[in-house]
Parts: sequence; structure tokens; C-alpha cells
Amino acid sequence: MMRVGVHEYARQIQEGSLDLKEEMHRVIQEARRINEEYAYFNIIDETLVKDQVDDLIKRKRKDLPLAGVPVSVKDCICVKGMESTAGSAILKGYRPLLDATAIRKAKDAGAIIIGKTAQDEFGFGSFNVNVGRGFKTPKNPHDLSRVTGGSSGGSAGITAKAPFAHLSIAESTGGSIAAPAAFCGVVGITPTYGRVSRWGLIDYANSLDKIGSMGASIADASLLLEVIFGHDEKDATSTHQAIPSLRAELHQDIKGRRIALLKDSFRTAVDSDIQKAATNVKAVLEKCGARVDEIEMDITSRYALPVYYLLAMSEASTNLAKFCGMRYGRAEPLEGSFDDYFSNVRELHFGSEVKRRILLGTFARMAGHRDAFYIKAAEVRSLIIQEYKKIFKSYDAILSPTMPIIAPRFADIEKLTPLQSYMMDILTVGPNVAGMPHVSMPCGQSKGMPIGMMLTSDHFNEAMMVRIASHLEVSR
Amino acid sequence: MKHAFTTDVVIGMEVHVELKTHTKLFCSCPRPAVDGETPNSRVCPICLGHPGSKPMLNRACIDMGLKLAVALKCRIAPQLIFSRKSYFYPDMSKNYQITQYEEPLGTHGELKLSDGSTIHVSRIHLEEDPAALGHLGSYVLVDYNRSGNPLIEIVTAPQLESPERARDFMKRLVTLIEYLDIFDVESCIIKADANISIKESGYTRVEIKNVTGFKEIARALFYEVERQRSEVAQGKKLLQETRGWDAIKGLTYSMRTKETEEDYGYIIDPDLVPTTISQEWIGKIRNSMPELAEEKVQKFALRGVDLEMAKVISQDKDLAEFLDATILQGADAELAAKWVRKELVRALNQEKLKLGKSKATPQQVACLIKLLKSGEITDRVGQRLIEKIVSQDIDIQSYIEKEGLGIVSDTGHLEDLCKQVIAENPTAVQDFKQGEQKSFNFLVGKVMQKAKGRGDPAKINELMKLLVS
Repeated sequence: MMRVGVHEYARQIQEGSLDLKEEMHRVIQEARRINEEYAYFNIIDETLVKDQVDDLIKRKRKDLPLAGVPVSVKDCICVKGMESTAGSAILKGYRPLLDATAIRKAKDAGAIIIGKTAQDEFGFGSFNVNVGRGFKTPKNPHDLSRVTGGSSGGSAGITAKAPFAHLSIAESTGGSIAAPAAFCGVVGITPTYGRVSRWGLIDYANSLDKIGSMGASIADASLLLEVIFGHDEKDATSTHQAIPSLRAELHQDIKGRRIALLKDSFRTAVDSDIQKAATNVKAVLEKCGARVDEIEMDITSRYALPVYYLLAMSEASTNLAKFCGMRYGRAEPLEGSFDDYFSNVRELHFGSEVKRRILLGTFARMAGHRDAFYIKAAEVRSLIIQEYKKIFKSYDAILSPTMPIIAPRFADIEKLTPLQSYMMDILTVGPNVAGMPHVSMPCGQSKGMPIGMMLTSDHFNEAMMVRIASHLEVSR
Repeated sequence: MKHAFTTDVVIGMEVHVELKTHTKLFCSCPRPAVDGETPNSRVCPICLGHPGSKPMLNRACIDMGLKLAVALKCRIAPQLIFSRKSYFYPDMSKNYQITQYEEPLGTHGELKLSDGSTIHVSRIHLEEDPAALGHLGSYVLVDYNRSGNPLIEIVTAPQLESPERARDFMKRLVTLIEYLDIFDVESCIIKADANISIKESGYTRVEIKNVTGFKEIARALFYEVERQRSEVAQGKKLLQETRGWDAIKGLTYSMRTKETEEDYGYIIDPDLVPTTISQEWIGKIRNSMPELAEEKVQKFALRGVDLEMAKVISQDKDLAEFLDATILQGADAELAAKWVRKELVRALNQEKLKLGKSKATPQQVACLIKLLKSGEITDRVGQRLIEKIVSQDIDIQSYIEKEGLGIVSDTGHLEDLCKQVIAENPTAVQDFKQGEQKSFNFLVGKVMQKAKGRGDPAKINELMKLLVS
């Protein structure tokens, strides 16, 4: 099966020149075959795929932008009736009563949700090795001994590997779209905070969580965003901004546009090949007529990482309190007091990184520490946003590598301390803490592995970001 | 701990009032419980705390909260912010409660007691109610129908000097929230926690948790003050502790001794954005404020109602509004107040009816008062009519005509009746002649009986005096 662009594939389904049932049958077979080896899916739900296909056949397909497009979904985004666990054993068997708003919009646009993709448990990781108890770890599509990156690792892996037109609905809290997109060599777009409704998203850190898209190209990823953008009264943090036409921006002129290149990538130890790739990208942009200046971000480079982890863990520790073996998900035989019971359920079914983050997050918001940690972090976040805003007064986008390294080997990860592991997010946490839209796209290779470069733009300026990014794609 | 208390008893209250809304605080599940409803039938993913669900703020609750804030003369926060209060308990669908912490809706408020003294209200804030727990053998059952109901919490300074004053505070508060139309006793729960300490113990603070219902709250306070006094009298040392209230046994019991303050690890709820409370919004609320009890008292007193009577009537919102409407229909204020307060209430109690559920209308009562004032009917007939109108739809004028209830002033007829009574009651006549005023009243009563309550009382008096002396 040749892989075509999503738009072209959807057009053929709309016209009826492709047989939807046949296509989906092959998609499921291929997905299963890939999954055997790479573990990108927590579940491929054939029954629900059949139902969706039957529904779609009854509908007028002519105007559906995603007609018959197979879409995979990060496990933390609820799909009605489809087991949704956020990659955690504690939610094993949970079938949501609702579709996330992003899912409903995708389905309305004709998409077929094929399954839920692997992720770090509740999104707690940068490599997708912190999978829940009993879950498989996804493997890099270019090298089975390497990680996919996380936490949306399954989404990135299947996006890279799928031999069929495919999109993935992913989610980023601190870099969970950009990181795996970079490691797997696909396009990952994280929109402005509030652009896509979080209704139906199993929360990691509500003030940071953003649903976004992954695709084989900027065009594919943009098409999905145009569908899932928009205000939703079910999410109080969802914004009223008008929905831009992202695909109209592709290959538009960027002459005279100003781009800020992050100097020394925050003084991080960045691989020399990746540093070189950044220089190449700079040259390409300049060739297109853009002006690239090196800039520094003093506050963001120093504080974005601790601010991110403090806020994310504080919020996460309250979000995860609801998982206690009552009402849904895993239960255990009723024994002892309520405290004994829920402690046992959580002990048995949470992984160790989940426990670490609950403990750290709880500590950061306790009476004696709250002012020094949680409150301070919230204040510094405002300073970080101001720093970005100041740069965007003069620049259209900020350019930097997505990750300081290429996808590491599983064996290397084991040697990292939690702190070293958290340091891998140094470049992605900035835009995530500030709620700025950012795209990671493949720009070159190192040791046969993809290198990802990241463009960040101002709140709600996804259009300019996509426009600039599209020039890098052409010249790849 | 340092304190500046001097009074014999110190009580501080935290009162939780369920708001009279159509839906819950953060979802669109219907709010008032339906009689005989199935447990866990009035629920949705939001109030069950399902993964992926997010709270949606019910703006009607803010309006209600603002009404109370204005009425209590609170300083109103410039924005409404919600926080998560984290603790694990089976009645908590998310194991955190969405409440207000950093910046409550209102602070620095006050409420006047009956004697005119002022109680400081330190804060009022909105929060969601947890689920209800029930017990079945060794199991605890959870009913989430209540989960997410809107509550407003009212916190007083430790300024109430006796259980009587605490009860008065509660009473004034209930009256106020009824006037504001944000609470109704039929469908809304009222709960309270109270801190109580007495001088004899050096003000060792005891907290009573979660007492439901106005009457129970008062009972628990009276009991607890007595308990503390008797413990101290027996030479026992009081513990700083949290106690529960057993309504069946009528006593408080120790739940836990407080070693440290609980740490709820508050964070701002990141699912909810701050809601700006503009001066314009507050202005709208101010302009839509209903007339409150104090204003009713002034108004009634100005129209000639006895001040004490006006105060008593005004404490009952329904009664006060009824009287107000009756006076508006042209009834004499003083007479109407007496009749509404005494005869209407008596008739309602007799029929076991609430004013709102009865058939009585201000028009009817106004008509009745006019007839009484002009002497067209007697008090007895008035009483009979008021009993009728609370339970039946009648037109007073035509009913009087049909039943022949108009006053009887025909001298000849009344004289006949007096003569009959004198003949039938020689002993009473004898007694009166020897100076027993009671016997005269007895004779007049007998005549009224024969006149079926319709005889003109002045005329009967006059005739009887002439005939027996």
C-alpha cells in the first residue's frame, strides 16, 4: 500500500475511488503487524472501527475533510466505548462514557479512530519507558534498540511507520508531542494552550495540557488541527479565537520574516550533529529571505524546567487522587478501612514514576512548602511568558533543536538519574510552560537517526509558525 | 494560644447553605432531590469525577453568592477563583473538593442579631457538596446524587456569646437567605460546624462537625456548652478536639483530638478560569435586591403596625410578603397585621398547611379586613371565613351572602335572644347582680352562640346590660 497524503486519501474516499471497508481492513492488518514488533498501540479496537465505518458509509462523505482517514489517539484522550487508560494499569478496563471534544470533532469530520497509542503512564516521561504496569514499551521506528521518546511515543512511532495515510491525536504537557516527533522523525504540532478543548482529556497538569497533532507532513498535521481547533463550553480554559486556515499558509513567502535562533540552546550539551543541523536550518531560512538572529532567554533557560516540574507535579498529584479503586478502573477485594483499601489499589497499580510525582507534587503544595514551591513557580511562569512575549514583539518565531540528543538506546536510559532524565526536556518545557504553539519537524539525520528542529511562535500565531516550518520541509 | 476572650461562652460558626438552583455547581445535573429518587440517578461524568470530565461553572450560583455578599455588606472579591482542597474520603468523587481558599467571594461582612448587636462575618465562599454516605451492615454506601450540589459557606468570627445568640444568628441568617430567594427550607440542606469554648476551661476550643438542620444545630450547641461546664465542674480537663453530633441520642461524641491543623495542600483549580466580578455586575445585583426583613419592619411600622408585631412578622418572609400585599390591597395595616399574625397562622396550623401551599390570597384577606373594619361581619365570622379561605377557593362576598353571615344588628331579634338567655340562665344572672363580671361575659357569649356568631357584639352588650340590671 502506497502512502499518500491525508488530504489526497480523503479525497479518494469522498469520491468513492477507494473502498472504505477494504482500506480499513488493510489498515487494521498493517497496524496489527507493526504493533507486534513495535508496541505502538495499547489497543486496536476492530469492533469500534467497524461501527465507525458503517456509520460513515451512511453519511454524505463529500465534504468531510477527514473522510475515512485512520486516526490513532494517545491513550489519555477519551474515546467513547474504547478502553482508555492513559497508559496506567489503574484504569485497565475503563471504557469512557464520552468522546473527548477533539475526538468528536475528528469523527464528525469523517475520521476513523483505530486505537489508543502507547504513552508514559499519565504522560510522566520523556522517553516513553515509564509505561504502566503490564504495558509494553514502544520501540523507535528507525532502530528497535532505541526509544520513541515520550510521552506520546506510540503516536509518533505509528505516524512514522504507518504505510497508509494516517494522523495521530497526541498531547503535550511539557514536550510530549515535540520530543517523540523529533526522535521518530515526524511532524508534531502543539498548538497554543486553550486552542483545542481538553474536555475528555485524562489530566496530567491541567494548566499545561494541550492536545495536538502528529502527521507525516506539515500539511497532514495542519489538516487535523484545523478540524479539532475551536472553542468548547465544556472546557473553561478553551479560547474563543477564530480558527486560522493553516494549510493556506503552506509555502507562503517568508521574506523579511524575523527568526530568533536560541543561542547555545540554553548552554545545554547539545550533540554536535544537532548543532550543525540548526546551523543548516538557519541557512535555509536565510536563503528564503528570512532574517535569523541569535538570542538568549535568561529566565526561561534557567527556570522553565523547575517551574514546569513543580507546577506539573503539584497539579498531577491532585488529578491522580481520584484513582482509588472506586467507581471505575481497577478494583481490589474490599478489605480494611477506606485508607487501607485505596492505598493498596494505588500501591499495586501505579508505576514508580507515578508514585514519585505524586509524592513530589504533594510535597510542593503542603502548607510549609507551598509558598516556596507551588506559589513561586506560578509567579515565575508569568515571568517566562513575559520573556516570550517580549521576543515575539520583534520576532515571528524562535528556532532551536527539539531535543539535545537523538533518540537514546534503552540501555543508556537506565543509567540516567531522574534529574538527568528531566533535563532532556530543557528545550521543550519553555514553550509548554508559556503555552506557546510549537512544531517539531525532521531536519536532517545523525547516525541514521532523525533530528528534530523546533519552531515556537506567539500565542495563537500557529499560522506563521506553519508557514515558516513549511519552508524547512520542502528543502529537507 | 493567646486570645482576648472575656465572655462565659465563645462560639464561632461555619454554616453551609445549599443554594436554591436548578442545577449543580459544576454540571447540569438537576439540583433539588426528587422524592423517592434512586441513589446515583442524578449524576454525570462531572459530578462522578470521571477521567476526562471538567467542571463547568453554574453562573446562577455566583449571582446568588453575590446577593448574599451584598446583603451581609461584605467586601466582594474582584474575581472569583476556585481551589482544590485535597483529602481522601469515600464521599469525594475526585478526592479533592472544589472550594474557594485564597480569595473568598466575600469578606468583612456582618449580620445583625435581634437585639441590634452585630456579628462579624469573616468570609463567605462557594463550594461543592460531597456525596452522601449511607450505612448497610458493615458496608458504607455512597450516593452521588448530592455530589456537586452548590453550597455557600458563611464563617463568623468567634463572637457569639451563648447558644441562644448562636441560634438567633442562625435564625436571622435563614430569614435573610429566604428573603434573598437563594434558599428554601423544603429543598435545601443547611449544615454547620461550630467552635465552642467556655471561660471556665480557659477557652479550650472544641469543634463540632457537620450538624444538619437548623434545630439540630441549636440543640448541639446547647448540649455542648452544658457538657463542657459539667466536665469542668467535675474537675476534668477539656481536650482540644473535634466532636460529632448524635441527633438520636442528643449528645456530642469525640471524633478525634486535634494534634495538628490538617493540611489540604490547596492549589488553584487549573480547570477553572478566574471570573471577573465587575462593579457593573455588583451594581446589577444591588439593583435587583429584594426588600429585606429590616425594610419590611420599617414599612409596616410606618403604616401603623405595632413595632414588635412588625418585627415578628418580618422574620417570616412568606408571612411578611403576604401582609405587605394585603395592605397594598387597601386593608387597614394594623388590623391586617393582627389578623395575619394570629388568625391566619392559626388557621394554617390547624389545616397543617404552609402559606405558600394554601389557597389564601392577600385579596381575600384584604376583603375580610375591610368587612371587619366596617363592622359588616363579626370577629367570629371572620375567624370562620379565614379557616375557609386557607383550604378552599371561595369568593368572600358571595359566600357571606349565600351563608347569611352578615352581622345581625336587628334590636328586636337580639332582644328576644337576650331574654331567652336570661330565662335559661338564672344562676348566671344572679351572680352578675352580685358583681361577677365573668357571668356577664358568659351571658353575652350565650347570646352570640344563639346568633350563630353573627350578632353585633356592641349591641348585645348594650341590650344585656339594660335587661339584667
